[in-house]
Amino acid sequence: MEIKDILNRSTNLGRPIIKDAILRLLMNKLTWILILILLLPPILGLWAYTNEQDERQVQELNGDKIYYYDTNAESDLIGSPIHENVRETFIEISNVFLIKFIGVLMAIMFASELINEEFNKKTIQILRTTPIRPLEIILYRYIAGVVCMFSILAVTSLIYYVVTMMNAGLYGIKEEWDVLFLVIKLLLLESIAYIGIFILISVHFDRPFFLGIIYWMLWEMIVSGGNYQQITVSHYLNSILFKGLENMNWDVITEDFGLIKSAGNETIDLVTEPFTAAMIIAILALVTIGISARGIERRQF
Amino acid sequence: MSEVILENVTKNYGKVQGISDISVEIKPGLTGILGPNGAGKSTMMKIILGLSRPSIGRVSVMGNNPFTSWEQRCKIGFVPEYDCFYEHMSGLDYVSYFLQMHNNSLEKSNEMAKKSLSELGLEEAMDRKIRTYSRGMRQKTKIARASVFNPDIYVLDEPFQGADPTTRHLLMMKMKEWASEGKTIMISSHILHDIENLTDQIILINNGRMLASGNRHEIRNLMNNIPRQVHVTPIDNKNLRKLAKRMMDESWVRATRIDNDELIIETDSSETFYLELPRIVKKEKIKIKNINSKDDSLDSLYTKLVGGAQWK
Repeated sequence: MEIKDILNRSTNLGRPIIKDAILRLLMNKLTWILILILLLPPILGLWAYTNEQDERQVQELNGDKIYYYDTNAESDLIGSPIHENVRETFIEISNVFLIKFIGVLMAIMFASELINEEFNKKTIQILRTTPIRPLEIILYRYIAGVVCMFSILAVTSLIYYVVTMMNAGLYGIKEEWDVLFLVIKLLLLESIAYIGIFILISVHFDRPFFLGIIYWMLWEMIVSGGNYQQITVSHYLNSILFKGLENMNWDVITEDFGLIKSAGNETIDLVTEPFTAAMIIAILALVTIGISARGIERRQF
Repeated sequence: MSEVILENVTKNYGKVQGISDISVEIKPGLTGILGPNGAGKSTMMKIILGLSRPSIGRVSVMGNNPFTSWEQRCKIGFVPEYDCFYEHMSGLDYVSYFLQMHNNSLEKSNEMAKKSLSELGLEEAMDRKIRTYSRGMRQKTKIARASVFNPDIYVLDEPFQGADPTTRHLLMMKMKEWASEGKTIMISSHILHDIENLTDQIILINNGRMLASGNRHEIRNLMNNIPRQVHVTPIDNKNLRKLAKRMMDESWVRATRIDNDELIIETDSSETFYLELPRIVKKEKIKIKNINSKDDSLDSLYTKLVGGAQWK
């Protein structure tokens, strides 16, 4: 019944909340600091591009220009297609910098701005005196957070991709689209998971930024490398990345992604199927939204 | 029928008591809630609004529990004491935003918000960002947001704060208008004069406890044990001493003092005083020009109740 009501009211309530929440996120100085940090690697990439342009040779195949490393490049790269090497750079920088570092920081910051700032400015008290449901208060802010975070990270990953693959020419860029789509898929799932978790923290605790960092350091960084990593989001993101690359016939091993667990003297692979991983992330998001809404409902001022 | 009922309501914040054992029924019309800072006025208002839940006791707003009943929130308008703005919005966007939270379309919300803000004199400023507003303009914007959807109950926490005399007058007119429409209006204010101008119906709170509630004249009459000063002015000044001496013969008169052309009589029992004085002056053949008791003012009542030794 409540869900039906929420759907009926979504046109009038959802639009202004999502619009305002996105506007607030984009007007926040911290967002622009993060965007500037995000743009540093592509700027360095452009510099590398200008330096490495003379380390390649070109071969035409059916009208496509394929670039290879020439004799000026490192010995193990000579003669290999450039795109097959730089795609690894793209995956590494996306996984370590974009997904595991800036992505998490952005989720903590966005959730804090969307929820905790409303507590600080006491606008949440005014909202609580209107007929809007707690689930609506959380849901539309959650959607705004996911849309905003995913959009920024997706555009950034596209910039990273183009800058990283530039040396490989148009052929190289087109050839590795799948890698870009895999990263974009991960960024979407990451936004869905982390915005939910950090909104939950923001609803229940007064210092969400600090607690968010603690969660990230202790839970996602330490636990995700251990035997109980299936209780972390990182495990599912790593699984999707690993399986995605494996399906693209990359030469990858589970150890490189921390997807192993020790059993006595042996290690066992611990990879979750991508579909299952995505479902677990979606369920996690729904649970966090539900618990956060409950938190708003029970909160006293 | 009472719109708001509090029955033995106590609210504790850990070991700190917000309000203690408050029982009151608030009927349609204007009711002033008075008390010093930290008395528990805002806690009481938050409980009525459903922002807080009583630790003990029962609260009913229009027959429902305000903490759990979501639907009835479209019937309550709240003006908080504190600022609660999205500073990046214009006044129009802000009022319209909260109207949309009442499930109104954007077009309808904008139209209603414009009308409400214009009525409060903000037609020129409504498109400006709230961060550029003065305190008075902010106060008007809060009132526009709380009143635009024509609620049945108004909870106004220090609504005259920061308002200039013109705004204050305008707001008072609005409140009287709402009251005449049968709305229930609760106002807390530190400015007793404002409450006095608006209503006789008051609730006095101090240290989380309700000291009194009802009509301020009735409350004053109930407080017969509290010394009360009455200023009596005879037509002939020569009778001042005679009357002072005569009054001191009565057991219910505590003291008399002559001040210029009036006699100030302090009495323990105002009821007896008003019954006996006409008899005494008639017998003494003293003609009286004026009888006046400043203790009937809310200010005096408030001071006596909140600061009086009898309450310590």
